[in-house]
Amino acid sequence: MGVIDLDRLEVQLGGRTVLDGLTGELRGNAIGLLGPNGAGKSTLINTLLGFHTPSRGSARVFGLDACRDRASIRQRIGYMPENDSFIGNMSGVRFVRYMAELAGLPAGEALERAHEALFYVGLGEVRYRKVNTYSLGMKQLIKLAQALAHGPRLLILDEPTNGLDPMARQRMIQVIKEIRKEGSIRLLISSHLLRDIDETCDEVLILKNGRVAALCNIEAERRSHRNFIELETVGATNEFCESLRGQGCECACFPDGRVKLVMPDQIEARDLYVIAAEKGIQIRRIHLRRDSLEDIFLRAMDNERARGELVSL
Amino acid sequence: MSVYKHEYRAYSGRVTPLWTRVVVLARYGFAEVWSSKITVGLFTLSMLPVIVFLIGIYLANNPVARLIIMRGNPQVLTIDAAYFLKVLETQSWLALVLSAWIAPRLVTFDLADNALPILLSHPISRVGYVLGKFIALFASLSLVTWIPCLLLFAYQGYSSSQPWAVANIPLAGGIMAGAVIWITLLSILGLALSSWVKWRVVATGLIFAAIFVPAGVGGIVSAILRTKWGFLLNLPVIMSELWQRLLGAPEVRWPDQYIPNAAIAGVLILICVVSVAMLNARIRAREVVRG
Repeated sequence: MGVIDLDRLEVQLGGRTVLDGLTGELRGNAIGLLGPNGAGKSTLINTLLGFHTPSRGSARVFGLDACRDRASIRQRIGYMPENDSFIGNMSGVRFVRYMAELAGLPAGEALERAHEALFYVGLGEVRYRKVNTYSLGMKQLIKLAQALAHGPRLLILDEPTNGLDPMARQRMIQVIKEIRKEGSIRLLISSHLLRDIDETCDEVLILKNGRVAALCNIEAERRSHRNFIELETVGATNEFCESLRGQGCECACFPDGRVKLVMPDQIEARDLYVIAAEKGIQIRRIHLRRDSLEDIFLRAMDNERARGELVSL
Repeated sequence: MSVYKHEYRAYSGRVTPLWTRVVVLARYGFAEVWSSKITVGLFTLSMLPVIVFLIGIYLANNPVARLIIMRGNPQVLTIDAAYFLKVLETQSWLALVLSAWIAPRLVTFDLADNALPILLSHPISRVGYVLGKFIALFASLSLVTWIPCLLLFAYQGYSSSQPWAVANIPLAGGIMAGAVIWITLLSILGLALSSWVKWRVVATGLIFAAIFVPAGVGGIVSAILRTKWGFLLNLPVIMSELWQRLLGAPEVRWPDQYIPNAAIAGVLILICVVSVAMLNARIRAREVVRG
């Protein structure tokens, strides 16, 4: 049983299909949720929390149906929403205690855990200040503290580094890494920032237009693409790429002449020069590198036709 | 674990039953309401008439006071259904003032800071959320309506030399029912209207307007069309009618202006249904982060 199981999940909002037949089993300790705006990331999170009812299929969290067992799921989940969401006229510790009590902790233990959670995220010194006096970074951290206070099994972080300066972002990433390392909490992190996902997650689900564009283990994906090459070229890049695809390469072209490709085993680097000479292309630079999350993401976004091949379930 | 140990640890302790989450909401709502000095001030003001009515009961039951102040004429001050109707009406209108201040405090803080997505991501439903806020408001309004009214009733029963309380048990039931109907209506209406505006001051004004503007319109309709049905828009009138009937106090309106009980019940139910629909629509729209 995975942390999250999606079975042909379809969600319609206002007559529009927002999630379209999502299927997959998310097993990672830290799962990244990636996709452009409108891809359905927030809708998927809201469906897991039981706010949206699937029009078809199902979503399960720890084996519990997201629609039928929503109270049990919410008991096990800590949720940090993307936007500002707090009660501004409460002190930090009171707010976190309130949320912990709502999650089911008795009053005394909720207070103790609220203090702990605030110290843990680094807000210990300001815990008696009203939340509406906090800076943006502090507000992000208090949302994290309230999500952690009741000891959830799954922590859903929606854009956790949104609006943070580099220092605060680093602090947030550090906290997320510590939570992951501690091991008792699974993480689902939605973000636009590939670097955040790259640093914190071991599995990634990429959504595009409400469909699964890619679902893969980041490390396994990197290992499977050792023949990854980045080229800087001058000339008719598109034709060059078509030829490479004809040779079995996975290839992504960029307007400035950059070409990223993954070569199959039977193709060697010198073959690239041969193909380039045939197409009248100059290769100015060739760079062998490890596959990055950006590449996985770009491939998923770039090549919708080859979606079936890229998705590794 | 002490707070100075900055390490995360999973929670493995006891978890409270699901139904108690509503109580948590009510408790925090209640605390929020009563943290305001204005609430305490309004409550204190609401208790002043109770003291006056208490003195009235004392005087009516004290032979020496009756002799000196009323000169032995019991008609000057009689403790009966009409007396308790005055008590109930006074306290009920003070409850309106209190609810116009309290209801916005319960809802607008959550809406202004977009707290609903976090609140409702916990094991609590929309119904549970509204119920929690309702309980906080209902309990606060109870403190100035049926609780002091019934305490006065009990004091009258204690002070009276005759077996007054036993003979007037239906009066106590009428007080309780009248007050509960009114504060239920006020609570639902107050929460619904507060959920639709961002500023508390506007919400307060809106609650008064929702009571008195339709009353004015109803009065105009009744005057122009020469019909009694315009009074159905006049909440103060229909509540007065209801209280009179519940307490068994003498009717003060003309027989041709009699409003049937079914019509009164229909209006009150309609207000509640519309308010619940407004609340549901508003909370449903704000429960998730859109994007």
